[in-house]
Amino acid sequence: MKEQGMKKGFRSWLDERSGLSTIFRFMSEKTVPQHRHSIWYYTGSAILLFFAIQVITGFMLVFYYNPTLEGANQSVARIMTEVPLGWIIRSVHSWCSSFMIALVFIHLLSIWITKAYRKPRELTWMSGVFLLFVSLAFGFTGYLLPWDDLSLSATKVGTDIPRSIPGVGVWVTKLLRGGEDVTGDTLTRFFGFHVSILPVFLLAILAVHVYLIQKQGMSTPLAEEKKGEKMKELPFWPNFVYREMVVWLILTGILFSVAIFFPPSLHKAADLMAPAPEGIRPEWYFLFLFQMLKIFPAKILFINGDTLVVLLMLLGIVAFFFLPLIDNRPEERKGKFITVIAFLFIVYAAAMTVWSLL
Amino acid sequence: MRIKHSLFTRRQFLNGLLGGWLGALAVSLLYPVFKFVFPPTREPDQVTLPFSDFKDMKPNTVENFPWGSKPGLIKKNDDGSYTAFVGVCTHLDCNVTYLPEQRKFFCACHDGWYDQDGIHIGGPPPRPLRRLNLSIEGEDLVIKREGVE
Repeated sequence: MKEQGMKKGFRSWLDERSGLSTIFRFMSEKTVPQHRHSIWYYTGSAILLFFAIQVITGFMLVFYYNPTLEGANQSVARIMTEVPLGWIIRSVHSWCSSFMIALVFIHLLSIWITKAYRKPRELTWMSGVFLLFVSLAFGFTGYLLPWDDLSLSATKVGTDIPRSIPGVGVWVTKLLRGGEDVTGDTLTRFFGFHVSILPVFLLAILAVHVYLIQKQGMSTPLAEEKKGEKMKELPFWPNFVYREMVVWLILTGILFSVAIFFPPSLHKAADLMAPAPEGIRPEWYFLFLFQMLKIFPAKILFINGDTLVVLLMLLGIVAFFFLPLIDNRPEERKGKFITVIAFLFIVYAAAMTVWSLL
Repeated sequence: MRIKHSLFTRRQFLNGLLGGWLGALAVSLLYPVFKFVFPPTREPDQVTLPFSDFKDMKPNTVENFPWGSKPGLIKKNDDGSYTAFVGVCTHLDCNVTYLPEQRKFFCACHDGWYDQDGIHIGGPPPRPLRRLNLSIEGEDLVIKREGVE
């Protein structure tokens, strides 16, 4: 009895100072709509799960990783061979990045197709697009850190791409590389991006993103709204959270199984003077862009092929970011056409990816 | 409040003054940040190598040398002359390799091809390989950036 009294006393002490009970009350009243497409609601928290795994395994790897020209490749080799269970930690970190980015793509595409970004959720979408690019930047910077010949070539190409943007492009390339060329300075810089700059950005944008979702509640698909009936709802706590936990357990199981049976390789240390090895390839999520750069001819009319690819890419990114504003009549023909574009994009990206693997 | 014949009110004037001052302060703080993140370029004007290292090269072969942080390539031509290139693909900056049997330079990143004179002949490269001026001065092989005297 006395113990309970103490617990209650502590709670009211804390609540008086923090106002935490407001948040608990909000959580206990929050509901999640139930319909044919509710499965997509689970992708968001699954991304958070993978992000948490990245943070924890990242903390662990940074204890042994050495971000210098001389030491990087060797320190990763040491993690893989000497550090107890180091190979599993690196493997999980490497695989989890792929899993996370795959889910980010699925999450955004599902929102595009169900038009969950329509008014008043435009800002949620835009913050989500930012999070996609921060995630891709994490993947891109992390790919260099093992400092082997594949990662060096991928980084040379990736950091050279902005150069084609007229005006600011050269400066972007210099900023990313820490100079004219990819060198040891680039490695140090990428390490800085990967472990300090990007995490701060990601957490800040994530806070905005999650706040907006809580403020507006879950979006429901247009088709379900049109039925006009009152939708079935599930309490967020504990019913929905328990279901999410089941999803997390399954995904963690898959992740660890893949990580244990297919650990990533480590090639020999990068040599700045050596020719690019054959069969270089970026991470799978950049393959469709990689293939585009490969097939575009040197000159189209009088523009450089890669300048054109980069400008098209930029245009695509801008359109993607402002999608909720472009798609302002979701129920009319324009809205349906924009949904078709989502499917066309999936087919296009898949086809280019397969082509690049042939 | 506006004085007679004045173009703006006192409030507008003070806001402009304060805003301009804050803007100038921001620029003066951002400028060093901007300068800091761009290190000076490190491409050398000239590199001197001992000629003895390259005297015995066979025709139609290529040797590497460090051109700053880029790979430089010295090619011995069939007539015994030498040509120097920056061994970096003009498409997206990958290091190229010379394939003597085919008499071509090759970039593995996106399938770029150059002929033995460094002229782009296939794939995405938009320009020929960059050439460097090479001269033999006594015991030395002197390699200069184009335009450097």
